[in-house]
Amino acid sequence: MSSNVSETSMDLSDKMNSMINSNQDGTHKTKSLWLDAFNNLKQDKAALFSLFIVILYSLVAILSALGIFSADWNKEVGPSYAAPSMDYWLGTDIFGRDVVAKVIHGTQIAMSVGLVSSMIAIPIGLTLGAVAGYFGGWIDEVIVWFYTTFSSIPYIMLLMSIAFILGKGLTSVYLALGLTSWVTLCRLIRSEVMKHKNRDYVQAATAIGGGHGRKLFKHIIPNVSHIIIINTSLQFQIAIKSEVILSYLGIGVQGQPSWGTMIDDAKLELARGVWWQLAGATMAMFFIVLAFNILGDALRDALDPKLKGK
Amino acid sequence: MSENILEVKNLSVEFHTPEGITRAVNDISFDIPKGKTVGLVGESGSGKSVTSFSIMKLIPSPPGKIAGGQILFEGQDLVQFSEEKMRKIRGNQISMIFQEPMTSLNPVFKAGDQIAEVLQIHKKMSQKVAMEKTLFLMDQVGIPKPSQKYHAYPHEMSGGQKQRIMIAMAMACEPKLLIADEPTTALDVTIQKQVLELMFDLQQKYNMSMLFITHDLSVIADIADDVAVMYRSNLVEFDTCKKIFSQPRHPYTKGLLACRPNLDKNPCRLLTVEDFIKDGVEIESPKVYDDKIEKNLDSEDTLLEIKNLKTYFPVKGGFWGRVIDNVKAVDDVSIKIKKGETLGLVGESGCGKTTLGRSILRLNPLKSGNILYKGEDITLYSKKEMRELRKKMQIIFQDPYSSLNPRMTIVDILREPMKIHNIGTNKNERVDRCKWLLEKVGLNQQALNRYPHEFSGGQRQRISIARALAIQPEFIICDESVSALDVSVQAQVLNLLLDLQDEFKLTYIFISHDLSVVNFISDNVGVMYSGKIVEYNTARNIYHNPQEEYTKTLLAAIPKGVPKDFLTV
Amino acid sequence: MKNYIIKRLLYIIPVIFGVCFIIFVLFNLVGGDPTHMLLGKHATAQQMEELRRTLGLDRPLLYQYFDIVKSAFTFDFGRSWNTKQEISTMIMDGAIPSLSVSLPGFILSSILGLIISVVVAYYRGRKIDTVVRIACIAGMSISSLAYILFFQWFFAYKLSLFEISGYEYGFPNFLPYILLPSIIWIILSIGPDVRFYRTVILDEIYQDYVRTARAKGLSEIVILLKHVLKNAMIPIITYVVIQLPFLILGALLLESFFSIPGLGGITLNALNSSDFPVIKAMAVLSAVAYILFSLLSDILYTVFDPRIKLK
Repeated sequence: MSSNVSETSMDLSDKMNSMINSNQDGTHKTKSLWLDAFNNLKQDKAALFSLFIVILYSLVAILSALGIFSADWNKEVGPSYAAPSMDYWLGTDIFGRDVVAKVIHGTQIAMSVGLVSSMIAIPIGLTLGAVAGYFGGWIDEVIVWFYTTFSSIPYIMLLMSIAFILGKGLTSVYLALGLTSWVTLCRLIRSEVMKHKNRDYVQAATAIGGGHGRKLFKHIIPNVSHIIIINTSLQFQIAIKSEVILSYLGIGVQGQPSWGTMIDDAKLELARGVWWQLAGATMAMFFIVLAFNILGDALRDALDPKLKGK
Repeated sequence: MSENILEVKNLSVEFHTPEGITRAVNDISFDIPKGKTVGLVGESGSGKSVTSFSIMKLIPSPPGKIAGGQILFEGQDLVQFSEEKMRKIRGNQISMIFQEPMTSLNPVFKAGDQIAEVLQIHKKMSQKVAMEKTLFLMDQVGIPKPSQKYHAYPHEMSGGQKQRIMIAMAMACEPKLLIADEPTTALDVTIQKQVLELMFDLQQKYNMSMLFITHDLSVIADIADDVAVMYRSNLVEFDTCKKIFSQPRHPYTKGLLACRPNLDKNPCRLLTVEDFIKDGVEIESPKVYDDKIEKNLDSEDTLLEIKNLKTYFPVKGGFWGRVIDNVKAVDDVSIKIKKGETLGLVGESGCGKTTLGRSILRLNPLKSGNILYKGEDITLYSKKEMRELRKKMQIIFQDPYSSLNPRMTIVDILREPMKIHNIGTNKNERVDRCKWLLEKVGLNQQALNRYPHEFSGGQRQRISIARALAIQPEFIICDESVSALDVSVQAQVLNLLLDLQDEFKLTYIFISHDLSVVNFISDNVGVMYSGKIVEYNTARNIYHNPQEEYTKTLLAAIPKGVPKDFLTV
Repeated sequence: MKNYIIKRLLYIIPVIFGVCFIIFVLFNLVGGDPTHMLLGKHATAQQMEELRRTLGLDRPLLYQYFDIVKSAFTFDFGRSWNTKQEISTMIMDGAIPSLSVSLPGFILSSILGLIISVVVAYYRGRKIDTVVRIACIAGMSISSLAYILFFQWFFAYKLSLFEISGYEYGFPNFLPYILLPSIIWIILSIGPDVRFYRTVILDEIYQDYVRTARAKGLSEIVILLKHVLKNAMIPIITYVVIQLPFLILGALLLESFFSIPGLGGITLNALNSSDFPVIKAMAVLSAVAYILFSLLSDILYTVFDPRIKLK
């Protein structure tokens, strides 16, 4: 989100800062742009809180994956559809299973969907985007054609088709999400690489005798890598939301609880006054998606691509 | 009623940021008499722009805030004015022109309509009447064919024309005070001269007062009546223009006057502000430099010879994207550079000087021609041979902000060329060399582990120089290397370049749009115009005995840097 | 300009070929043999062979690919495996209910979103701006499924304010049925809309020409509505146009929940019954729509932005 300080005052205060900095040379601690960004992030309470939530969810997901949390989500712990109480904080489902355990297991699924789909999308998007942006010419044209083609099929249609064709289950959810979401990253990386390719510092690298590999990997990619971080934050929320839709459509997670399957169950439960599965899954999802949303915005501000100090 | 249209009294402006309060303007006072021009001079960050924005009350608030003082416009304190009252003043009684003509006009409105808008809101003119008046104004500011240009969009105009549109807009309501914030800084010298003359004429004609903000004292020498000098948020000197130039009192003003290269003088080094004031303490007797000794370059020792060099950029068009035309950026240039020489290349934007520099280093693909380095034609070199040769030829760029990789520490930046060319055998050796390089360019060793954004523009330019020196080059192209710097810093970097040339026997091509800088640093000068070198001679001859019409125009456009009264004396 | 449009027009051909290739790879190569699914476990090899022939799956792959490409231009998608109906007829029948839900919602949310973001941009940095910003982000963080479930259950089932589900053809008969889905559509899309419009408007507010406008003595409202909005409208219009193809696809989930017989419903039914031709048809159709509308948005860009027009 844009800051509320106007250009002029930014310029002015930047100049002030550089003036002050140059005065106290030798006394202040050195900091990289990454550290600088982190310090900016620390100023932002909402972002810090979001980061905390993301870490918390990640921990819950890891502990659940290790079988320390919610390993026995499948166990019948009480009567069918028991309302929330001290015994079962979020009630039980039709088979008398604890909804809290299901929500926790759902957390594991949600975080893994975000993580794995990012891990599929990042290598594809980064490689294609960097190659297209750096080399240009016919290589660029082919890659642009390739991602234009991919993005021409509306996201939800492509997602459904891939998930459907690959068959039900978590693996196809991973693949479907990964294979649909590299396009955004690729596009962003490409245009950013094109910008940096013509910057003087890359020209300077040519002038000192650096080859393509050095220029691309040592100079350009480190300068566009913040896009990956910002985009991953976006990718997580899209993945989490999409998992819910795929599960509702019956082509998502099978045989284990996810937020999607829980919300899908609520379709029949609400009329009977059973609201807790819906509430549990929705709330769990709300906080993490909100956190990624706020974090994404804050990261964009903190990792501002404009050259620092100017 | 006083004789002054504007009186600034004890004005202070603060910026409230999360990092704390910065005082951008600290307790300054000055007057602008009726019908006179006041120049406000200072370097970037000195607070001069903040002052001008405060008068218009255009300081973004928050974070900006007028912390104290008065701005009396015809006796009324603008600081106390409501936003609504202020709006009736802006564009009507006080108007303003900005530095960036490229971005200051709304891109989706026609130029004429943007001028007419001012008349419609302040003078309540009908659209038709406003249009007629606009055409008159456009004619007056020297826009050819106003009735056509009225319907042009800003992007269809040149920078100079846009600035003329801005002036017409500011003059529309015949304001009592015109604030011009670096109105000519972004323009070429010849255009700058025209715009300055236009502003001076209009000011005389309408007997208007003007506040002219600039970083370059020489620009206002001709047109200002009084000059105010700002230094680190304070107003250090306020006097008549004549006094400022003849008897500057404050050491900063003295430094500012001395550090700018002057066409009439020929010192071997430039004085800097630090020679007059250091850590706030005035230095009583600044040093005096001897005149430049002309180098003996008659030897047969030619380092670089360029023969019929052409660099064309294809213009693609038509249906199949065929090459329909070429931009002849460098068009048949031949030139010789001797060892130890500094060749200055001077010209206005778009003349091809930067492309020529990059073509010599083969950073651009060439169309044809030969580049002989020590007699060997490097246009025939393979990629590998070229990479080897890069050890000998280096470049220093213009923009100190984009020429250093922001994600690398200084030590990594300096070490990279050594690694590529196997200079030094291990890490320690290279780090030692980095330290030595930093010392050579006048930076502290502590800089090693820092990142570029932690340095000021001048310091970054020193780092760029150190990087170029890291691999012991013989030949360096300085591409507008001091253009982005404040005058006082510019002087330091120029001195540094000369010191290094003496120490390492370097050969330079020095590219710049600034004739006085080129004159100061160069032995020989080539004047470029639309891809060609139109005149080539020794620096002395170029400046004192120009042959070509274009060179004469360029020279005539340089601000004299001396008040006009002085010239008649 | 003319060259640009012709070139841009011709570019859609390789893209359509590419899209058809993706669909071909998915459904004809990876998708495997659908005869299993269609005939059940006890089918004989002969039955399967026969079915394959009637479905045209025995033909060379290249022919199968060109069938898809052909359908992208002729809109002749063959028949559904499930209902045996002509697919193009099914699409024609489904389009009207789909549009009756999505179009009013889309128009209203776009207008409402624009108004809100202008107001918010005027009060930028103040409390109302913060509140709207937080509301947008929070609203976007709730699953769309949860919205639909809750609204249907609460407003239609519990309070009986709206029809729970169903559809009747013809104006104004469908009105009661589309009311709640349209409201949900607006709620779902207003968050992202406001966020985008606000960012675009604020990006413009910090440009130099706005400073010039202030120095002219214009009031903040005039600056916003005249100078800023005219610049901001360029990206906003393209953003709106690029969303239009999604209206044709309909609101997948809304249609399913409210039993509206639109294209979204057709797609979901096809998914449930492994009706390959229908899914393929919907994928091709939505892609073609997307390609055409992005072409339109590119052309509009050149029309609205004087900087591009004369190049």
